[in-house]
Amino acid sequence: MKTRLAIPLAAVLAAALLVTFPLWSSPWETSRYATTILQSMLVVAILALSLDLLVGSAGMPSLGHAAYFGAGAYAAAIAGQRLGNDDLVLGLGAAILVSALLALAIGAVAVRASGIFFLMLTLAFAQMVFAIAFQAADITGGSNGFSGVRRPTFAGLDFNDATALFHLVALVFLLVLLLIWRIRSSAYGRALVGLRENERRMRALGYDTTRLRLSAFVVAGAIAGIGGALQAYSIRFVSPNDVGVARSVEAFVSVLIGGVGTLLGPVIGAVVVVFIERVMDSYIAFADTVLGLVFIVFVLTARQGIVGLVRVAYARVRA
Amino acid sequence: MIETRELRREFGGIRALAGVTLTVAEGERRAIIGPNGAGKTTLFNVLTGEIEPTGGQVRLAGEDVTGRRPHELARRGVARMYQRNELFDPLPARDNVAIAVAAAAGPYRPFRAPPPSELVAADDLLERVGLGGRGAVPARALSHGERRQLELAVALAQRPRVLLLDEPTAGMSPAETARITELIASLDRSLTLVIVEHDMDVVFRLAERITVLHEGRVIAEGTPPEVRGDTLVNEVYLGKVVA
Repeated sequence: MKTRLAIPLAAVLAAALLVTFPLWSSPWETSRYATTILQSMLVVAILALSLDLLVGSAGMPSLGHAAYFGAGAYAAAIAGQRLGNDDLVLGLGAAILVSALLALAIGAVAVRASGIFFLMLTLAFAQMVFAIAFQAADITGGSNGFSGVRRPTFAGLDFNDATALFHLVALVFLLVLLLIWRIRSSAYGRALVGLRENERRMRALGYDTTRLRLSAFVVAGAIAGIGGALQAYSIRFVSPNDVGVARSVEAFVSVLIGGVGTLLGPVIGAVVVVFIERVMDSYIAFADTVLGLVFIVFVLTARQGIVGLVRVAYARVRA
Repeated sequence: MIETRELRREFGGIRALAGVTLTVAEGERRAIIGPNGAGKTTLFNVLTGEIEPTGGQVRLAGEDVTGRRPHELARRGVARMYQRNELFDPLPARDNVAIAVAAAAGPYRPFRAPPPSELVAADDLLERVGLGGRGAVPARALSHGERRQLELAVALAQRPRVLLLDEPTAGMSPAETARITELIASLDRSLTLVIVEHDMDVVFRLAERITVLHEGRVIAEGTPPEVRGDTLVNEVYLGKVVA
């Protein structure tokens, strides 16, 4: 009874602390540096959470997941500019729609392959999306990027205010986390695990595995698109790098460092990766090398990531 | 219930099935025997849609299902107990069966936890195959015999009309063999069974009719006494085993 209440209570408390971070951090943090960093951690966490639905749950290692993130970022930016309307529902709606459709088109081909071939196909398609973002300069801004992204408004709230925008990002992150948690414990989530563990058996049981894989690909793409929209709103800038392979790798590394196939692993991984890339980078010269080394250590010694290490440690303490 | 007409399948010039015609009636228990390489497993792979035939026809309950994909055949009531277990290894035995039970309702239920009725059904099936109380054990941690029992439970969870059993007793101890044989014998009489098996005691215990396959062809078919008395069968298959 004690633990049954303790975990939800701790979760609610953590969520409240997260959303209100700019308010209680202001006394010691006047420059808003920590808030900005935390905000980008949450954005990368959304991307990593969506990727882990594929990599962790369904066993589909996509190395081109940034394509849907970037598509969402461009869609939110372009929708705001072209339609001259800053409504949040419109911006997020455009991001979800465009990234989901892109995932549907690419997934229709890619999900027919599996393992390393699936990985190579997702990478190749993402490179094509990158090339399009680069070439279609009159829509995307090409290599200069799309600057001056308009921040949204919603029901009288103006997200041009940095604190309000942080609340929005934190809230959307929590909703995505909640969604992924529900999916993982649903019949759908269990079917994805079945896909990962034994696709032949799933077919023999009557599951249309091609369709199932495609559905996961589209859902993951749409969630990545939400992350992309929030990224565009946060830094008011979208560039081809947001659809590039470096960002796909960033998400993949987050998932692997945090813990593949766990709920909180991708979040923890995103925190670690953004910390190394953004915070350590300001203090030491070789932050990217550090990230590479951390990644290698985890791949070699701790395949279950940080969450796996914590689980092992916890089991030892209890035993 | 399930029939094939002139079923052929070649693998790069090698004829695995060279025109197999057979008819298994509803509720019948049919064994298919033959030496290694006779085409038994290929026949099963074609019947479940995992391999497309090069020629010929498969009919299920009167419907032409040639070339249908595995999940379509599964939904029409074909289930298979694989020769080499096809399980969800890291998942508990109960979840292995629950995923099979849930196939009927489909996977597109993304927000709510699976209904408890599915787990109850899974536990009932585990009980039936003799794995009661083992539901929480991951499939990979079960003994070989238990894994065969689980494989059977997964196939039964589909509530099939036709159950294909590919060497159900392979690798089992005599005691385990006896137990799973009785379990299969006790299945609902309306279920159509097709059994590939090398253990002739099991075949004669379970089968009402026997089809003998040799080099991709049916060389004999009949009741167990008829097949036992067939000289050709004794020459190519039974003789080798008995002598």
